[in-house]
Amino acid sequence: MLIRNAPGMVEPLRELRRRARWVLAVIGVAFLILLGRLWQLQVIRGERYHARVLSIVGSEQLIPAIRGKILDRRGRALVDNRPAFNIYADPETVDDASLDLLAQLLTLDDDERERVRARVESIRARKNGLPVQILSDQGRDRAALVQQARQRLSGVEVRDEPYRRYVHGDLAAHALGYMNHPTQAELAKLADNEYEAHEFIGRHGIESQWERYLRGKKGIERFVVDATGTRVESDDDELIDGPRFVPPEPGHNLVLTLDLDLQRAAEQAVRRHAAAAVVVVEVNTGRILTLVSKPSFDPNIMTGHLTHAEDTLLRSDPRQPYLDKTLRQHYPPGSTFKFVTMIAAVDDEVVAADQELECKGWHKRGQRRFHCSGAAHGAVNVIKAIKRSCNVYVWQLAELVTLDRVAEVAVDFGFGAPTGLGLNGELPGRMPTREWYEAQGRTFKIGYTLNASTGQGDVEVTVVQLAMAYAALANGGALYVPQVVERMETATGEVVTEYEPSLRRRVQVKSEVLEVLRQGMWQVVNAEGGTAYAARSEQVVFAGKTGTAQARSGRRRKKDQEQMPPGWHPSRDHAWFAGYAPADNPEIAVVVLIEHAGEHGGAVAGPVAKQVIETWWKLRTDGPTDSTAATVQEGQQ
Amino acid sequence: MTGLRSSMVVGSSRWTRFNARFDWPLFLAISLIVGIGLLNLYSALSGRTHQRLFYRQIVWLSVGLVGYMVMTVIDYRVWQRFAWVVLGAVILMIGLVGIVGSTIKGSNRWLDLGVFNLQPSEIAKIAVILACARLAHETETRELPLVEVLLRVAVLCVPVGLVLLQPDLGSASLILLIILSVGFLMVREPWILAGLVGAGVTLFPLLWDELQGYQRERIVAFLDPEHDPTGIGWHTRQSILAVGSGRITGEGYLDGTQNQFRFLPEQWTDFPFSVWAEEWGFLGCLLLLVLFAFLLLWILNAALHARDRFGAVLCIGVGAMIFWHVVVNIAMVLGLAPVVGVTLPLVSYGGSSVLTVFLGLGLVSSVSARRHGY
Repeated sequence: MLIRNAPGMVEPLRELRRRARWVLAVIGVAFLILLGRLWQLQVIRGERYHARVLSIVGSEQLIPAIRGKILDRRGRALVDNRPAFNIYADPETVDDASLDLLAQLLTLDDDERERVRARVESIRARKNGLPVQILSDQGRDRAALVQQARQRLSGVEVRDEPYRRYVHGDLAAHALGYMNHPTQAELAKLADNEYEAHEFIGRHGIESQWERYLRGKKGIERFVVDATGTRVESDDDELIDGPRFVPPEPGHNLVLTLDLDLQRAAEQAVRRHAAAAVVVVEVNTGRILTLVSKPSFDPNIMTGHLTHAEDTLLRSDPRQPYLDKTLRQHYPPGSTFKFVTMIAAVDDEVVAADQELECKGWHKRGQRRFHCSGAAHGAVNVIKAIKRSCNVYVWQLAELVTLDRVAEVAVDFGFGAPTGLGLNGELPGRMPTREWYEAQGRTFKIGYTLNASTGQGDVEVTVVQLAMAYAALANGGALYVPQVVERMETATGEVVTEYEPSLRRRVQVKSEVLEVLRQGMWQVVNAEGGTAYAARSEQVVFAGKTGTAQARSGRRRKKDQEQMPPGWHPSRDHAWFAGYAPADNPEIAVVVLIEHAGEHGGAVAGPVAKQVIETWWKLRTDGPTDSTAATVQEGQQ
Repeated sequence: MTGLRSSMVVGSSRWTRFNARFDWPLFLAISLIVGIGLLNLYSALSGRTHQRLFYRQIVWLSVGLVGYMVMTVIDYRVWQRFAWVVLGAVILMIGLVGIVGSTIKGSNRWLDLGVFNLQPSEIAKIAVILACARLAHETETRELPLVEVLLRVAVLCVPVGLVLLQPDLGSASLILLIILSVGFLMVREPWILAGLVGAGVTLFPLLWDELQGYQRERIVAFLDPEHDPTGIGWHTRQSILAVGSGRITGEGYLDGTQNQFRFLPEQWTDFPFSVWAEEWGFLGCLLLLVLFAFLLLWILNAALHARDRFGAVLCIGVGAMIFWHVVVNIAMVLGLAPVVGVTLPLVSYGGSSVLTVFLGLGLVSSVSARRHGY
């Protein structure tokens, strides 16, 4: 129609008429190309593009769960969460001028500036559009400064978020642990955005061991963002992959077996000592009331506020403040171990309990003379040997029963294997046997037996191990698995799991034998001439055994002493006291180690034990003190 | 007015005579496309701070409509006399823009007239079409020496050069395409055409050197969209996502994700088609393309039935203008052409664009109303 049926076509339009077909062809081809492309994009690839659009527009944010509290056995908070101000930057909108102004406002030093800048840069590369934490726990004043300058700080915001608080500072620091940021390697390993680089992860003690339960489960908020990453309101559910809001599940609260008052008293009791460990355990349950490892650290500083200088200081301290001395360090038990050798002899009836052996003050074996503690003890039976801590008596028994039999009893009491508390990488201790020496390539000598029989040489224990052994000794032979978490509760206080006491085994010893040992241990504290007689208590009768263990490291050098803390040197003896109270019907076992004290166990460790036991006794009869009643209220708020 | 009145021999009343002559199908096609354009503009602007632009567009369209009617009523042959004068005036205006024009986004294209910013490069298209028609008329009525023809062609090309200097690659290419299209359809000797195309090909490398950095970047981005996903290829990628996301039946009016969530920058000027494609799908696109195809064929029809060579060339020029605008704009949206600022006629937001298209179509309407057989 267009071409042929053109009535009165004039001559001048000749060319146009001829070329009109070409015009039609060009228009047709052009529109067909456009339609073909539309078909390709919308029909063939449509679903794929649609899915891509949804994935770009739909965004989600994980909402951190509130971490569970850690409470003492009476429900008083040891670790909880406080409000804190964290500063975030939106990598999309923050600019250098804002960061400079921020640094100026908060008087950041060059290192901090650089760290802030690096954090922003690292997130820019990720391009998920979400603000990133650049400064944490800034304090009310600094947060207010930033708030006030908000107009000039584009892309910077202050958020009020919970921050871990260790209510009593460094109290029970090794048991509770601390938190810090996950490493790059951990972030790579932990899947599903479970941890962000600015979040905290439990690092030591309960915080690390129970991380999974304390942490809770993150919530998810799903929403729609526009091209600039700005959140926009949309009620179109198709754009959102899953429910819009999954609330975070708060972490579980842990109720520990530790007693705040007793823990505090024990830490008070060792305050004059440079390095020490104290363990108090219930003999009939295995529940630990007190775990002291000194020196330690302040978890409030460790958690996000540790400077390089402080870290260096802690690391260079020869007393190793980062090391848990109740679980992660081996010590020779010294005379506290003698009861093992005595059981080996008396229980096998190699000697009778009241059979007397002669102590001349030394014991000759081959070419060597082994010296007893102090002067000659004369005629000595089991009870007197314990009371006076006679080495010669124990050596004579050891020669009669052999090393392997001593080791058998020791292993029965839990030495040489982890107790199962499962905290801070608990060490197993070591109880050598003849076989062990041979495996070491050392020719077995009787001297090894003599050393081991008095808790020296190659015998090594952990403080918790010794406490559990003494608990078994005190309760008539029940060796418990030590327990530090009594139960797990939800944030609202419903019990999730109740952890019952767990019996490891009953030791194979006749109860009369244990009774004799306990008589000896009563005399140590309560009879004149006992090694801990000076530490006896008028409030509560307790019993126990002192120990003075030789440290293995070399001679004392005057030059070193100048670099060492006062009252501490690696060449000095460890002072021990291991016992239980009350003596007639034991309820708790107490082990005190004064590390490298250089003094006798009865002189330094005994008085500490006495103080702890008296506090325990007072708490048992009077209940928590007034000052701690205030803490109870605070903890309940 | 005299031209129209002299040819009004049939009909009793003024309205009946108008009704008989007026090209209703052309007007209907234009109205439908404008309706789609407004509907689409409303969606493109929804939820943004630019909603007042919708009302401004209605004002532009009203002004455009008045212009269309005025152009229809005026006998197009009047413009024969003024064609070169109009072109001269436009060249002066473009020159003026270079001196006092307002710079928007690094490009100096607008002339601030107080009420609105006039974009002379748009009006230049109409002036060039008029001049082309006048040239065709001149070669028809008397034998022009080749030198004079070439001189006139050179003058025709002046606006191309000036617009390119603004720099506005899109408008310059469009004007050049209009000239070439008219030439292709009206020149008697094919060798002249070959010469023109050859000159264009030779000029391209020279042109490339003259292009601004961002213009070259856009062409590079078009050739290799993955080159920089968030930078220069961003427009094209987002536009393709939006179009594809529409699938067959579209995401629904006002529900285009890419549109509503601002992934398409300034979609109301250069990318309205992607909004349409996302919300109405392949079927909606088909409808719009059919309407444009009808409009173009109808303009070609008007050209073929024109009373004289001048009228035919006016129609061909306007048709070429609309054809190239539609093809280049949609190809750009679909990632088939580099991102150049070429609007979609009757759909894009913008006063100069609306006025230019309506004036052009008014010329076609005028030619159509005075075709043979009346």
